[in-house]
Amino acid sequence: MGSLILNENMKLYRRPRTWAMLGFMVAIVLFLSIMDWYHNDKRTEGDEWRNVVIEEKQQRSEILNDPKLNEENRSYNEQRVAILDYHLEHDIRPEEGTMWDAINGTAGLTILITLFTVIVAGDSLAGEFSGGTIKLLLIRPASRLKILVSKYISMLMFGILLLLILFIVSILFNGLIYRFGNIDLPLVMVNTEGEIVERNMVATLWKTYLFNGVSTIMFVTMAFMISSAFRSSAMAIGFSIFALFAGTIVSEVLQAYEWSKFILFSNLDLTQYLTGRPYQEGMTLTFSAVVLSAYFILFNLVSWLVFTKRDVAA
Amino acid sequence: MSHEPIVSLRHVTKRIGRSTIIDNLTFDVPQGEIFGFLGPNGAGKTTTIRMMVGLMSITQGEIIIKGENIKSGFEQAIRHVGAIVENPEMYKYLSGYHNLVHYARMVPGVNKERIDEVISLVKLDKRIHDKVKKYSLGMRQRLGVAQALLHRPSLLILDEPTNGLDPAGIRELRDYLRLLTRTEGITVIVSSHLLSEMELMCDRVAILQQGKLVDVKGIQEFMSSATEQVQTYIIDASPAEQALGALCDMDKVREAKAVPDGLELVAEREHIPEILADLMRLNIRIYKAQPQRQSLEDRFLEMTGGGQNG
Repeated sequence: MGSLILNENMKLYRRPRTWAMLGFMVAIVLFLSIMDWYHNDKRTEGDEWRNVVIEEKQQRSEILNDPKLNEENRSYNEQRVAILDYHLEHDIRPEEGTMWDAINGTAGLTILITLFTVIVAGDSLAGEFSGGTIKLLLIRPASRLKILVSKYISMLMFGILLLLILFIVSILFNGLIYRFGNIDLPLVMVNTEGEIVERNMVATLWKTYLFNGVSTIMFVTMAFMISSAFRSSAMAIGFSIFALFAGTIVSEVLQAYEWSKFILFSNLDLTQYLTGRPYQEGMTLTFSAVVLSAYFILFNLVSWLVFTKRDVAA
Repeated sequence: MSHEPIVSLRHVTKRIGRSTIIDNLTFDVPQGEIFGFLGPNGAGKTTTIRMMVGLMSITQGEIIIKGENIKSGFEQAIRHVGAIVENPEMYKYLSGYHNLVHYARMVPGVNKERIDEVISLVKLDKRIHDKVKKYSLGMRQRLGVAQALLHRPSLLILDEPTNGLDPAGIRELRDYLRLLTRTEGITVIVSSHLLSEMELMCDRVAILQQGKLVDVKGIQEFMSSATEQVQTYIIDASPAEQALGALCDMDKVREAKAVPDGLELVAEREHIPEILADLMRLNIRIYKAQPQRQSLEDRFLEMTGGGQNG
């Protein structure tokens, strides 16, 4: 099994394509960080952050004075004001104007990780068919299941590698820009009970990474299933990327129906439980975990059945 | 060397949908021989090979390789097999060497020395670190042979191995396969639709036609049965017209006519010396008398019904 994973990694990392993806990842982190720094309100950097916070608080209070404000906007603005008060009272500066702002911003790049991992996963299996190499791969003393699992593991490792690159490059680069100032700054946020709490910045960052990682795993598993069923990289990559972007739309359109909470896409974004605003009333992290596990098992079962049972012809 | 067959097919049948691709194949491949699958395109050679290496499922019957069932004991059975199925497609973005490392890792006990040994065996030493996409077809074939031999298989299966090789390459491969069977006792199964090749390469051939086994015979049996028959000879004689006239008068000559190469005559093999002696007695000079070597092909076409499939 170990040597099979070594093989998959060799096939992955000895391709220029893979290194282009890794390089692009680094480049986009650098680019976004520089843009973030460049467009930063410079007043937030020094001790003037209080004035900026007070300004924002005033703006939000004005908005709240509007009697026609709808329920959602009202609660959001009230939360913001409470957080801003907390910053002022406890003399904790917000992330704006520190290294953490850009670092948290680049956490959104996990979608790029999903994209790259889906491309690699879609091609990993289907590429063996289109290249004809599957015929030499499957006539070895290694069961088809083992080969499938080794490919799957090497894909997950690639995703983790991208995540580590994202984390390290973004911490190091933004740290250097801001000379690692405020490195121990806590994150002030509203928890699911509506209380204002302080959280460790790095721990929260990794929580976001991992919650996004769940959706990466689901899309990779889906790409793998399509790859094994249709044996076409284009189909696997195309469908998965389409699902990646259309999924949110689908779940939004169907939000009115109660059964829509069983749709894969409604459960993919686990950060909905971090912010305390689930897709539908009554959905919990456990509920989503169960639904996602069910899809995960289904996808893998299909991949496995199709890959191990079907003839390799032509 | 034991005389137990290395491969046994028992009532092997392959159905896809309603059509029967392979129909009830039963035969043994003896150890240490070069065994040929002969048949026109679409006869089921490749399907049979794919079933033997586990790429295709077997609808009915079983295939036993070195005592192991390819279906139930796949990992044990396939350990003894090295194969090229159709074209040897390699990872083009990897070097030849890394391709071999890839396959070496999949079988326990193949070390770096063995990889180097196989590389020099197929004479790829100089180019082995180049990317496969820069290889010529012949080099790819040789790399294909190398990956098939890495784990010292007892059975080598080559599907259309001479496809795309030039005559020198074919000859080299042939000599090499002979060497493998003679010195290492490897059994080789090759498939081909080219008779002339099989005739030179194989010890025994199985003839397939539309998924059915037509016959399994030693190549010598094939040849001798062919030579017993009435044959066509080409004679280069001078003066040609006088010779043709004389031949037409002889009882033993069944047919005689002028062709671009000389004179063509049809007669029994036994009668040829007498016919030639008669000609010489008439002061006709004979430069050449040669049997037409298409007998095997003719027989093959006869057996497979005219070879309408090519």
